[in-house]
Amino acid sequence: MTTVAFTLNGAPITADVQPRTHLGDFLRDNRRLSGTHLGCEHGVCGACTVLLNGAPARSCITLAVACDGADITTIEGFDHDGVMGELRDAFTREHGLQCGFCTPGMLIAARDIVLRLPAAGERRIREELSGNLCRCTGYVGIVDAVASVIDKRKPCEATADSVVPHVTAPALPRFTPVATQARPAASLPAEATRAPADEKTARQGWTRFDESFVIRKPRAAVWELFGDVPRVAACLAGAQVLSYDGKTVKGRMVTKLGPIAASFAGSAAIERNEADWSGTIIGAGSDSGSGSRTRGEIAYRLTSLDQDMATRVEVTVLYNLQGALAQFSRSGLAQEFARHLVGQFAASIGAQLGDDTLASRATGSSLNVGQLVWSVAKQWLRRLVGRTD
Amino acid sequence: MKAPAFDYVRPSDIGGVLAALQGGHAMAKVVAGGQSLLPMLNLRLARPTLLIDIARIDALRTIDDRGTSVRIGAAITHAELEDRDIAGCAMLRTVATGIAYRSVRNRGTIGGSLVHADPAADWPLALAALGATIIVEGKSGNRAVPADSFMRAAFQTRITDDEIVVAVDVPKLSPAARTGYYKFCRKTGEFPEASAAAVFDPVSRRARLYVGALSGPPQPLDNLATTIAENGITAITEAAVAAAVDPIAGHDPAERRMRRAAVMRALKDVFAS
Repeated sequence: MTTVAFTLNGAPITADVQPRTHLGDFLRDNRRLSGTHLGCEHGVCGACTVLLNGAPARSCITLAVACDGADITTIEGFDHDGVMGELRDAFTREHGLQCGFCTPGMLIAARDIVLRLPAAGERRIREELSGNLCRCTGYVGIVDAVASVIDKRKPCEATADSVVPHVTAPALPRFTPVATQARPAASLPAEATRAPADEKTARQGWTRFDESFVIRKPRAAVWELFGDVPRVAACLAGAQVLSYDGKTVKGRMVTKLGPIAASFAGSAAIERNEADWSGTIIGAGSDSGSGSRTRGEIAYRLTSLDQDMATRVEVTVLYNLQGALAQFSRSGLAQEFARHLVGQFAASIGAQLGDDTLASRATGSSLNVGQLVWSVAKQWLRRLVGRTD
Repeated sequence: MKAPAFDYVRPSDIGGVLAALQGGHAMAKVVAGGQSLLPMLNLRLARPTLLIDIARIDALRTIDDRGTSVRIGAAITHAELEDRDIAGCAMLRTVATGIAYRSVRNRGTIGGSLVHADPAADWPLALAALGATIIVEGKSGNRAVPADSFMRAAFQTRITDDEIVVAVDVPKLSPAARTGYYKFCRKTGEFPEASAAAVFDPVSRRARLYVGALSGPPQPLDNLATTIAENGITAITEAAVAAAVDPIAGHDPAERRMRRAAVMRALKDVFAS
């Protein structure tokens, strides 16, 4: 518990809060101010909007402990506010209120628009209100209400749309740019070198990608290693084998990407086809923390290269992610996460077999993600063993 | 959805932050506005054991005109950049105005956006195009990292676990410079599906064009930028943009189209008069 003191609706308050308590919960549970509504609780819907030091803020993604010394106004604190009075009347008149769930946040956002953008037209009002969702989709009445308050407050006829002068800037002259300085090789993206997913084998809701890497060791050595599940698992940073009976493996996988951490527990069935140097791993797991579940299939095939001095490993990964982590898969991030793991796996497999070219290769191929993740993995290991260098 | 338990400290200066980072916590995380981190905490995707709040450190809350560049403190919010006209840095205002929603912009910070390193975020793309420099402070002092190489990959940057970003140096553009910025969002304020930024300054002879919202860091389109600087608007053709963008934009035809269009529209800003 941490003691915080701040001004709430004009009155000073002091309270003990846990650091993890967000302002919205504090207001509702500790102060019984239930006018602040909690909807999405991750900053999307705007129902929890309050004034923090005079500016709208989302109380669901603001920590109460961070508000020490601040001035907070909730919807209950606007009883004697002139602008809010006008907005309340306008919401009533224009039918800007249906179920009322979004209304406290809408009013606080609307008051900010009226005061900050006294010349806003309908388009601007709509843009400014885009962070406040109405589940009744009653936007027309809400926008009309805000517009009517702005119109009534405008001192003269001129509107923002009509007073913007049209400035003609001189055209950009032609010039020879200075040479761009060489940048450190970007680790991503290397999509161009990756094989496109085969449409025919794509499954609804599943993500597939193909990756290949070369290990400078004979195929038989690589094949032997791939058959040794605990050793393979040791090549996957964060992986831990709990049991293995030759066909089924049970284990845990701890992964980290920036601030995101997940710990998947699950099991997988392993099959190997000696005849064509290929194998499959079919498994499923779940992360109890985020409630995410994943199912996946990994198929690999080994090809001998350079008179069996080297082995190409082709991997096809097909997976499906559900739950909180899946919400985060925007822009292929979950896919990138999985690719990192494969790259890191490649580097570690190479290291296990005494081929360090994968781990030390700096640039060039699609595998530089491997090097990147290798460094991440090393950081992770350092943390794991408690070193702080 | 509620955040997992963690400890919280609010040091009064940068030294206190660096000390807290080295305090032996298994996973300490610096937070300023927390507008990306708090949703992740509430979803329990992120589980730091310690949050170090830097939002109110005075040294991180200044905007200094340094002649040829402007130094912006890491804890300056998007809204502060939206409300301010900084000479030679007009693009900052354009970009800030389009980030999320006002109630998020009031708390989210430029330094936090950079360090969070979401590939679809605005500042990593815009500051790369502007040729900005990120000032990073650690126990052995300051170092400068070019903005265009600051992000290594999605959510991975070049700062180490015991460093913090203290400021961003943005070079001022000449009055003759033209900039462009465009992003496709499914809904106003959402993270974009595709984005692009262009900066052309005939006085300093800088021509920089970047495409963003990829699965990794923003990518430069140097050859196309040079050709456009040398040949003007006639160099902007569908074919030229496709040739520059397609090799880095993945295999999804819709994604490729959106990225080409984002580049085209950012360039349209540059040549609009």
